[in-house]
Amino acid sequence: MDIRVLHPSDIPHVQQTNITNLPENYFCKYYLYHALSWPQLSYVAVDVSRPKKTPYDAPKIVGYVLAKMEEDPADGVQHGHITSLSVMRTHRRLGLAEKLMRQSQRAMFETYGAVYVSLHVRVSNVAARSLYEDTLGFKNNGTEEKYYADGEDAFSMRKELDYLREEALDEESDEEGGTIGQDEGGEVGSAGKAGDGVDAAKKDKKRKVKVGRGLGVGDLVERNESTATNGIS
Amino acid sequence: MAQNSQVLPGKEATLFRHLVQNYETKQYKKGLKAAEQILRKHPNHGDTQAMKALILSNLGKSDEAFELCKLALKNAMKSHVCWHVYGLLYRQQKNYEEAIKAYRFALRLDPDSQQIQRDLALLQVQMRDYAGYVQSRRQMLQAKPGFRQNWTALAIGLHLSGDLAGAEDVLQKYEESMKHTPSRSDMEHAEAVLYKNSIIAEAGDVQRALEHLDGIYKTALDRTAVMEMKADYLLRLDRRAEAEKMYTKLLKRNPEHRAHYAGLEKALDLDRSTKEDQEKLGQAYHSWAEQSDRIDAARRIPLDFKEGDAFRQHADKYLRRMIKKGIPSTFANLKQLYSDSAKKETIRELVEGYLEEEPQANGGAEQSKPDGQTNGSTKAQIKPPKLDPVTTWQLGVNYFLAQHYDYHLSRDLTKAEKYIEKTISINPAKSDYTYHLTRARILKHRGSISEASQAMNEAREMDLKDRYINTKCAKYQLRNDQNTDAVNTMGLFTRKEAVGGPLGDLLDMQCVWYITEDGESYLRQGKLSLALKRFKAVYDIFETWQEDQFDFHTFSLRKGMVRAYIDMVRWEDRLQEHPFFTRAALSAIRIYLLLHDNPELAKGGGSANGESAEGAAERKKAAKKAKREAEKAEAEKKAKAAAKSQPSKGGEEAETKKEDQDPQGLEAFKLAAEKPLDEAMKYLQPLLELSPKNADAQVAGFEVYIRRKKYLPALRCLLATRALAPEHPKLKEQDDRLKSALDNVSEPLPDKVKQVIDETYLSKLGSKTSAGEGRSDT
Repeated sequence: MDIRVLHPSDIPHVQQTNITNLPENYFCKYYLYHALSWPQLSYVAVDVSRPKKTPYDAPKIVGYVLAKMEEDPADGVQHGHITSLSVMRTHRRLGLAEKLMRQSQRAMFETYGAVYVSLHVRVSNVAARSLYEDTLGFKNNGTEEKYYADGEDAFSMRKELDYLREEALDEESDEEGGTIGQDEGGEVGSAGKAGDGVDAAKKDKKRKVKVGRGLGVGDLVERNESTATNGIS
Repeated sequence: MAQNSQVLPGKEATLFRHLVQNYETKQYKKGLKAAEQILRKHPNHGDTQAMKALILSNLGKSDEAFELCKLALKNAMKSHVCWHVYGLLYRQQKNYEEAIKAYRFALRLDPDSQQIQRDLALLQVQMRDYAGYVQSRRQMLQAKPGFRQNWTALAIGLHLSGDLAGAEDVLQKYEESMKHTPSRSDMEHAEAVLYKNSIIAEAGDVQRALEHLDGIYKTALDRTAVMEMKADYLLRLDRRAEAEKMYTKLLKRNPEHRAHYAGLEKALDLDRSTKEDQEKLGQAYHSWAEQSDRIDAARRIPLDFKEGDAFRQHADKYLRRMIKKGIPSTFANLKQLYSDSAKKETIRELVEGYLEEEPQANGGAEQSKPDGQTNGSTKAQIKPPKLDPVTTWQLGVNYFLAQHYDYHLSRDLTKAEKYIEKTISINPAKSDYTYHLTRARILKHRGSISEASQAMNEAREMDLKDRYINTKCAKYQLRNDQNTDAVNTMGLFTRKEAVGGPLGDLLDMQCVWYITEDGESYLRQGKLSLALKRFKAVYDIFETWQEDQFDFHTFSLRKGMVRAYIDMVRWEDRLQEHPFFTRAALSAIRIYLLLHDNPELAKGGGSANGESAEGAAERKKAAKKAKREAEKAEAEKKAKAAAKSQPSKGGEEAETKKEDQDPQGLEAFKLAAEKPLDEAMKYLQPLLELSPKNADAQVAGFEVYIRRKKYLPALRCLLATRALAPEHPKLKEQDDRLKSALDNVSEPLPDKVKQVIDETYLSKLGSKTSAGEGRSDT
């Protein structure tokens, strides 16, 4: 298995992995939206041991994490969010989900200065909760009622990313002087830049996850006549 | 620029401004009212007609819109508004070439319009008219040089058009013009600088790329990217010691990334094919594996290059470790080695040997960790009950052997069945369907498709909340041509509110595998119209994916993530190379060929075998049911929309998904039957262009071209097949058919064609055959 950052060309198979495993599905454009907004944050696990059938075989994705930064966070604190995570049943117990998550979390911290990462999990999904709480150190932050389209509640979980500061310092000590990392408190990422789109994203956020699809990706793009026909909403 | 008759008096001019505003804020009803108010007094006012047309087209009345816009142009030939709208209407129809023409005309009439310029540029990049795009972006930059986006966009245009030096220069000029040092967290700047670096490297100037990278290394926000770039540059510059250091650092961050190991091997200058180096590599991998018990790659990779006894020892260690840990994907992780028959045998011997022993206490396998499984399943079974080591071991060994004997390179299905039954009898977890799933697969390989489907359904019933097994079950049902069962199975997890029921949701969610399998099933059953409908749906999904990039031409400039954008553009250029497309396209072409050879099929509604009365009744029933469901969903949707009290901004445009007017694909099939070979070309062209090394694509190409009597392209396909797959079963037959066709041409071929065919083909046939000698299968 190969763990690496997600490329746009991976999307068809990521989409297939998602719809094979999970009830919350998205169309291609929503994956593109992640890959082109926060290209450092989403990772895939690729089965590299499949014999190739043609020279055009696309890498077989057996797991992925689709992640983003919260645009315009309500609490004013930069943080990442896990949109979707899944691993094929056939590739269980290799620790892939954890490995994917760790890569994503570091990128959130390093690139965008994320202070914490949040996610939602079905209250009934014992296995996922165990991964998040026991293996990855997430804390349960309370329940969001009827979060999912089918009426199930979600636990809202989060994990502080300050442990990465130390890791960065470790790495830094390998370098000859100099500093790596963020100037805290400053504007990070695209926040505050050309206000367009950001509001739309926020407005849409909850609904998007709830119905489990990329409603409103079109909304993220400036409203103008050229988008009126993009066939997506 | 409007003609005199086209100038509105004050009151109407104000109304017109409102009209434009209404359009921009999507208040279409208001807009239409305003337009009609103006037109009552000035029935020939072109700009108003154009704006009205634009609104109509946004309301889905595109025919009416085109009519009106043409009228507008008649009234106001020299109005940029009319031409701009004309372009927008074409763009909506995805007729980009005509749209570009119209925009150009509009721009000529109003050269300073930013909006027209931007719309034109968007289409140019979408159409990959890079020369035009560069020109447009230059003008936009000149108009607004203060925006970094405008510089970046020009650089992108130059870069994509192949002018790397020009692209770098533009980015450089902007950097030089910056008055302040950008803040460290300025994402747009950080990314633009990395983009510039990637262009320098792409131009082949690795030394300079490295120097530049060193200058931005510490402040770069995308740490992983700069580290990977640096490691790569160092390696390419043969600065191996430094490269080794970089790759080691990278591996510390991500010990499961194969490219890092590959880079490290190169940095160490070790050659997998020599015995000494194999040993050194083995040691290196051993030390990396020692870093953590959780690393798989460093343990797995040596199996690729180790040979003989060294392989046996390593494989033994690896297998024991994995089986003790109870990792069900052990076989999946190793099957690639089976192309080497010695390794295949070694693995078999080892694992069969394990049958005889109990697990040892030592060996380094630690306690099972939580398994990192987060799929939809909800019960605790995902984390199986803690098994005692003996059970885990026996389960693992038997399961491995079941998969081993099921795999096509080591197949012995009787043994596979024996081992899977044994595995199932050991498995204590009532809801862990893993082994039942494999049992179903073995049945499928036996050819017992119906039993396999049944077995998979039993596996599904072990864990009803798990979508993975649900998906597998639907797939096996399709393989058994239980199309209705399959869609119902899928329906257990699709959105209830989806228009068109489960299938509607699967189409919406671009579930390509399902649509393709459904089509292939219908094709097997001879239900050609339905099959074709599915393959067309896949074709359409790829069109949508192509169209999806449109918004990102603007979006990515704002976000500033340029490298990712370039990545996307290059992917989109080769989108239809994806095997998902190839598979559906090959089947679609098969149907078109059948249609061409037997036009009567079109009358039978595409039923190759003649549909039984029973089948027809069932089909009607299914169609009725689908319709009922669609209506129900539609009604619910309307009710929901009505319940929303506040009129949202976008409310008026609320696009309601149209009901499928041709659920059986009969109408489309009749149309397809009129020009089946032309239709086939739509699928064939992307195949031959993007997947020329796919022998099946070449074989299909031959079939289409020979029927179109295009002998040269047919020959090209034949020669390509021969080069790619000399043993292809269709080769001999196609060869004979081409010979025969050439011997029997109704009118002589053009000299040039004849010459090429003689030189590349006929002259090489050994003895020249004459007509009649070749076997004709046509």
